[in-house]
Amino acid sequence: MSRYGMALDYKNCINCKACEVACKEENGVLLGADKHRIWVGANDVDGEWPLLDIVSATFMPSQCQQCEDAPCQSVCPTNATYYDENDVVRVDPDKCILCSYCMNACPYDARYVDDRTMTVDKCNFCSDTRLSRGDTTTACQNTCPTKVRTFGDLDDPESEISELLRTREHFSLKAHLGTKPKLYYLT
Amino acid sequence: MSETTKTAEAVQEQSFIAKAKEFVFTIPVNKVSIKDLRDFEKTPRNNFIAVLTLAFIAMFVVGVAIYLSQGHHAYNVTREHPWGLLIAVYIFFVVSSTGLCIVGSLGDVFGFKDYELIAKRAIFGSIVTILAGFAVIAFEIGHPVTMLIYNVLSPGLTSAIWWMGTLYGIYLTFMIIEFVFLLKNDMKMAKIFGLSGLLVGLAAHSNLGSVFGFLNARPISNGVFYPTYFILTAFITGIFIAFIIMGIRYKNVFPEAVKTMLTGLAKIQALLLSILIFFVTWKMLTDIYGGMPNRADVALHILGSWTFWAEVILAMLIPLIVILKDYGKSHVLLVWVSLAGMVGIFFMRYNLVHDTQLKPLQMMKIREYQLVPEWIHYFPSATEIMISLGGVGLCIAMYYVGSKVFNLDADH
Ligand code: SF4
Ligand code: SF4
Ligand code: SF4
Repeated sequence: MSRYGMALDYKNCINCKACEVACKEENGVLLGADKHRIWVGANDVDGEWPLLDIVSATFMPSQCQQCEDAPCQSVCPTNATYYDENDVVRVDPDKCILCSYCMNACPYDARYVDDRTMTVDKCNFCSDTRLSRGDTTTACQNTCPTKVRTFGDLDDPESEISELLRTREHFSLKAHLGTKPKLYYLT
Repeated sequence: MSETTKTAEAVQEQSFIAKAKEFVFTIPVNKVSIKDLRDFEKTPRNNFIAVLTLAFIAMFVVGVAIYLSQGHHAYNVTREHPWGLLIAVYIFFVVSSTGLCIVGSLGDVFGFKDYELIAKRAIFGSIVTILAGFAVIAFEIGHPVTMLIYNVLSPGLTSAIWWMGTLYGIYLTFMIIEFVFLLKNDMKMAKIFGLSGLLVGLAAHSNLGSVFGFLNARPISNGVFYPTYFILTAFITGIFIAFIIMGIRYKNVFPEAVKTMLTGLAKIQALLLSILIFFVTWKMLTDIYGGMPNRADVALHILGSWTFWAEVILAMLIPLIVILKDYGKSHVLLVWVSLAGMVGIFFMRYNLVHDTQLKPLQMMKIREYQLVPEWIHYFPSATEIMISLGGVGLCIAMYYVGSKVFNLDADH
């Protein structure tokens, strides 16, 4: 019983996309641009060539925010989307009817259709792959060359993530919607 | 338990079954053969409608076959625009059903004598339209059978789709029972089931509005507007269809009693349309005022789209002007205007679904992923169009067969 969350030191992201590859590899996500659990958002560089403001190019790696009050879960007619024992928002493909309501309701565009099962899928903190094998890290975290991600138990005051959130300023995305994301962006 | 009570129970049970059998067998129906179904007045217009209906049904079969072999790949829905034409057409049909239920209730639930003569037709129409809606949505939901199972086994009580679907199922049952009592001329029971059906139908329908109203990720749809607007537009749709089915029934030559009813309906329609125009105007103004991102920009974009104006002109302005011209006395013209009105209502549904998804969710996916930086584009695929037209074909065919099998006119 844990309450998993993730902190992202996003300013360290160099847009190498290793996390995207690792996620697809680990979780068997099909190829194709719209089949992704994780992505790197890019801010355009300000200015006109040749007067480009290089430092304005920031990257915002992102994935499912693991909302504590997840709109995708409230709207699901068959409870196919559920909170597991570690508070991870997951989808049970046996119950999903592919009504796509959750895809419309998620404010973060975190969901897509897995063509093999024809059900909706999303990041589940590698729960059915790495975590179920006893690993304590996620694939995207493990592969990152600049160590952007820190994954861990928010309820454990000793965990690295709790320590980070105690000592560093952070924010979450679209917080005004009341979704209470468990992805924290460190500033 | 003694032998005698056992046999008494058995006798009771038997007599209950016998009663139920008798009830079903005494539902007044006309015996029709395939030959009777082919037997309609062979005017060019009728022939045209017959061919069109058959063509639509053929398209439905082809569309479904393509869908069954290719799944959602046969549709143009995407990650960013997961709801497409079929959702809009489903809404179109269930709005029609709710509307016809309201119109049918005017006579047999609320006791407005003038409107009794359309009750049976309207209630039958409400059954037919919702069945067509279910036929269309069955091929949009990825796993309809799973839905039937897990809707019961693990109901998502916070889900507007769960409430909408479940209530519509109950509504359909009530409508069928009401229709049977209407056929049997048992007005008391018809009233009870009519009222229950109406209440459940209104609840189901406003829940359908809340499917959109609850989306706080989509500021353009979020809020109380859609759940209430759905009821208003359902009533309007019901009156449009009432004009169309009366026009077909009397071949546009109306007896006095029907004329009185149609004029009454037209006057109600004028009031409803005025309220609708008022609603939509203020919705647009509040959306734009203050320039709130994701709402104001979307509203301005909607104002610039021709489908929005198709909705406004066909479903609101033209009918209102024609009715106000002579207080709803040009019945034949109003039949045609209602037909155009239904085209407008279709666009209303399409716009609602599409506009909700217009704006990308802005997760800065601007280059490497599919997301276009400005607006999300969608145009239905051939399969989606075929299944949608098929729904219309099914609806006409079911109504035609019903008008042969049942006596849909009011008995005098
Ligand atoms: S980010 Fe989207 S998919 Fe993930 S929990 Fe929140 S609402 Fe659900
Ligand atoms: S698509 Fe599946 S997971 Fe999403 S709301 Fe519908 S049933 Fe639930
Ligand atoms: S936590 Fe696992 S499933 Fe989620 S984005 Fe990272 S690698 Fe993919």
